[in-house]
Order: sequence, then structure tokens, then C-alpha cells
Amino acid sequence: MLLATEPTIDKAPFDHISFDLCSRRKDVMLMSADLSKYTQIIRVKNELPDQHLDVGMAEQNLISVAAGISKAGFVPIATTFACYATRRAYDQMMICMGTGPKTNVVVGFTPGIANPARIHHQAAEDLGMIRAIPNATVIDPMDVTDFKQALDVAVDTPGLVYMRGHRGDTPVLLDDKKFKFELGKTYPLRTGSGVGIIATGHGTQWALEASALLAERGVDHSLLHVPTIKPVNEKEISDYCFAHDQIVTIENHNIVTGLGSLVAEIVSNIGRGPRITRLGIPDVWAPGGTLPYIRSQLALDAPALAAKIEATSHGE
Amino acid sequence: MENNAASRISELELMATKIRRNVLDICMQRGGYAGQGVALADIAACLYFDEMRPDNNNWYHDRFVLSNGHDAIMTYGALAEQGSYTMEELRTYNADGTKVDQSPIEGQFGFEITAGSLGQGPSQAAGIAYAERLEGSDKRIYCLFSDGELQEGNVWEAAMFAGHQKLSNLVYIIDNNDLQATGATKDVLGVEPVPEKFETFGFAAKRINGNSIAEILEAFEEARNTIDKPFVIVCDTLIFAGVDCIQAVLPNAHYVAKASVDWQAGLQALEERISNF
Repeated sequence: MLLATEPTIDKAPFDHISFDLCSRRKDVMLMSADLSKYTQIIRVKNELPDQHLDVGMAEQNLISVAAGISKAGFVPIATTFACYATRRAYDQMMICMGTGPKTNVVVGFTPGIANPARIHHQAAEDLGMIRAIPNATVIDPMDVTDFKQALDVAVDTPGLVYMRGHRGDTPVLLDDKKFKFELGKTYPLRTGSGVGIIATGHGTQWALEASALLAERGVDHSLLHVPTIKPVNEKEISDYCFAHDQIVTIENHNIVTGLGSLVAEIVSNIGRGPRITRLGIPDVWAPGGTLPYIRSQLALDAPALAAKIEATSHGE
Repeated sequence: MENNAASRISELELMATKIRRNVLDICMQRGGYAGQGVALADIAACLYFDEMRPDNNNWYHDRFVLSNGHDAIMTYGALAEQGSYTMEELRTYNADGTKVDQSPIEGQFGFEITAGSLGQGPSQAAGIAYAERLEGSDKRIYCLFSDGELQEGNVWEAAMFAGHQKLSNLVYIIDNNDLQATGATKDVLGVEPVPEKFETFGFAAKRINGNSIAEILEAFEEARNTIDKPFVIVCDTLIFAGVDCIQAVLPNAHYVAKASVDWQAGLQALEERISNF
């Protein structure tokens, strides 16, 4: 399902994804808290103004007004940076959006270390926070194709749907004709019998980079992309884990409460299984700067990841 | 016309007395937020039996959003008269396993939102009002919250939004009883002057005696006639207003335990008043 050609780069994926969706779905209300420019909502704002609502720099209001809008027949998509949606307005997400049947979509941009600013702008815990809400849906798409298809599913999913968004230069890695996003489904991007890599979101991009280096070195491995963090298909993940002696998880998130924790919970429920090495933000305050710099500082750049996975394959 | 107006007020006063009776009947089973329910009976009578327009499905065309969950007791007292709940159902209030929640969850009949995490009703009501207006609906949206709730920042974010958007289909009703969980609002963190604060956020505002049917009706009418602005009615109320024998004992009650009051004396006084209407 990966494109056979070199990936192209989309400079503003959400601008056309949101415009396309709002053009097809007149019941969608795209909302912002003074970050339309920075989450790349330009065309909807200018060309479909009735489907765009900016509540100003007030994220608790963004989420709770959106919850009201959903109770009057619209499907709101509340957008802001992931840190503000989840940390600033967590109670509103849980109580106003999470307790009823109406569809309420929240897209959190620049998650994890994808924001150049430091702690205050980095949401390293958003996936864990929202997956702790009963009945919530949590999605961390890996590229433009995944993002676009997942959003189409999100607007028809009852209850609170939290998605991570991509802005700026974002690769198109998946073939839109061969990939079909389904909630809870996992996607094998490479098969092999050595180390089993499980990744989500930006982590899947990083895993693919590491995978290329490992392939050059002849290190046998497989790669599973898990875009849906909740509801999760436990059987697909446990079957994958139990087919390997070593599992490495890779995520743009604190290794506490995120994908790695989720995989460990699934395996521990069965009571035996592979060793699980969790790679991501290692429960520290990450530095600021460019994404390559931050990745290098946290040993999440491709060479460091490949080295760690190769060492794991030797049982280290 | 004057006779009609007097008759309308008299009918609503009778309804408010029945709501007070229902509140005591419900709360005497296991305790509850009886003081607020009794105090809000006049507002409930006007809202559910005069101001909100009925639909064709035994419910309402207009929409009511309860923000402070513990004031659900007011709604229960009213809906017993409206017919959506029986007193038998309502007497399970505050019992283990009841479906009559002290602070309702979205989906419970009669309640638009999950109430109780204070400060979140005004913005959800504003969202509903914005969307209804966008759809060309003439529905009016009413939201009840309390003076203590004004200490929540989310309320003022909502007020700023509603004023900016000129949501003239939105009416905030504030139960302004100068009481919150641990004392007098003015002592914990003063919120006055409430009408003036909302006016600076773009509202039309009116302070009334929240236990006067005539003043409540007048305020609702003024709200309906207000153009290009949301409206806030700041209702000065007194805990247990209209049930003197209990008010004399518990003038500042936040939550009333079953054993702390002579419920029967209050019920008897209200039944006598009802029979004398």
C-alpha cells in the first residue's frame, strides 16, 4: 500500500483536505481558536465562510461551543495545536464532547515534537490523555493519505474523535488507491521475521526511514502501522506481537501512556510474549528547535533508531 | 387585559407552588438540592409553562440548557407537572441505581448537555444558538447557571463569543443567590456587579427579583424584543423562597440532608396554598 515511487511532499495538506471535505459535506463546521493560518485553513475561511468559525484565542470555548454546535445538527471539527486542545480544554473534551452520542471531531496540530517551540507547545501526552476517555476515538495518521481518509471516517463516527493533524511539508507515502483507512485496522508496511516494529503517526515516518537503513544492512524486520490508538484491534496487534521475539514501538509521544504503553497492555493481558522496547519521547522535557535537531537530541533520528533496532535484534 | 395578565400570573404562581411541592416530595426521600429547587420554582413555572413554545411532540420548540447540574431538581419539579416524568420515577432521585440523576448526563430526557462541570453550559448554549441561527431556525435558547459559576473563566469566554456574534436568540438566566458551596459568593470571590459585567461583553441585561412571576415574565418579554444582542436575566433569589417554615431553619442551605428539616411541615403549607388558589 506504500507508493512505489519516491514520496511527494504536500506543503499544506489540511488546506485542501478541509476544503474538499467542507465542499462535499455542508454539515461540517470547521472551527479555530485564532490559529487558522497556522493550521493552514485558508480556502475554507475565504471561500466557504459559513462553514468556518473562529472563536478567538479561547480553547475551552472552542471545544464547548463546538459541542453546542454538534447538538444543533452540525459536525464540528475543532482545530488548534494539540497541546491546547488536550491540555487546556481536557475537561471540555471529556464532558462536553465525550459523554454524548453526537459527532465531535478535534484535530490537534503540531503534536509531540513537531512544534519548534518547547514544552508549552509540545503535546507529548495527548494520545494517552484522550485514550483514557471511555468511548473516545483516537487517531494518529502517518501521512497525507492517512490524514485525509481518517478525517472522512471521523466525521461519521459518533462521540468524541481526537485526531492528530499534519501541517507544512508532509509526505504522501501511502497509495490512495490501495490504502483504505478503517477504524481500528492495522497496516503491515513490511513483512519479516526478525524485529517487529509497531509505529503510529510521525513515528511511522521515522520507522520507514530506519527501515530503509536496516534493509541496507540486511537486518531482518517487519513494520506495522497502527493509526487508530482507540478503539484498537487487540487481536491484530497481539497476533503481530506473538509472531516476534522482539517488538520495538516508535511514536512521536511520551513513551508513558502512548502507543508503546498500549502494546504492552495488550501483550500483558495475555501474560507472556515478546520483549517490548518503547521508543519515543523518553519521559523528559524535549528541547525546542527544528524537528531533525529535536529527533537527534532524543535519539529518534533514523540512524539512532536503526542502531537501537539492530541492537534489539541481537537481544541487547 | 389587566384581568388576563392577573390570571396568567395567578396560574403561574399556582404552577410554581406545585413545583415547590414536587421538589420537597422528591428531596424528602433521601435529601437533595431542595433549597435551589424551591428558589427556582417561579423561574421554572414561567420558563416551562409560559415562555418556551411547545412543539407537536409533547416537548418544546425552544431549547433549555441546564449548566449547573444540581439545579436539575428545578427541572424535575417542573417536568412532573409537564408530564415527562412521574413522581414515582422522580422519588428515586439520589437513590443508588436511579435514572433520575442529581446532576444529569447528556441523553437523559429533558437535558441537553452533561451538566455539573461548572462553566460549560453557557458556551454550549451559545454554540447551539449560533448553529440554530445559521440554519434559519427561530428557536430561542435559554441557559441557566449560577452566580458562583461566574467564577469559572469559561463563562466569560462564552459571554465574549455570544456578544461578538450578537446572538439575540440566546438568553442567560443566572440564579443569583449569593451562595456557593462554601459560603456567600461575595465573601468567597465577589462577582457583582453582574448585569454591568455582561453589558460590557455586549449583552442586554436586567436584574430582577427571581421570585416574582411578574418580573420574570417582563424580563423574558424584554429579551424577546431585544435585537442584535444576547440577553442576561440576573435573578436575585433566596434559598427556599416560598416555603417560610423551612427557609427560617435553612436560609443558606447548599445541600439538604434528609434528616435536617421538617419536610412534612413544608409540604403541608404548600398543599394548603394549592387548595386555596
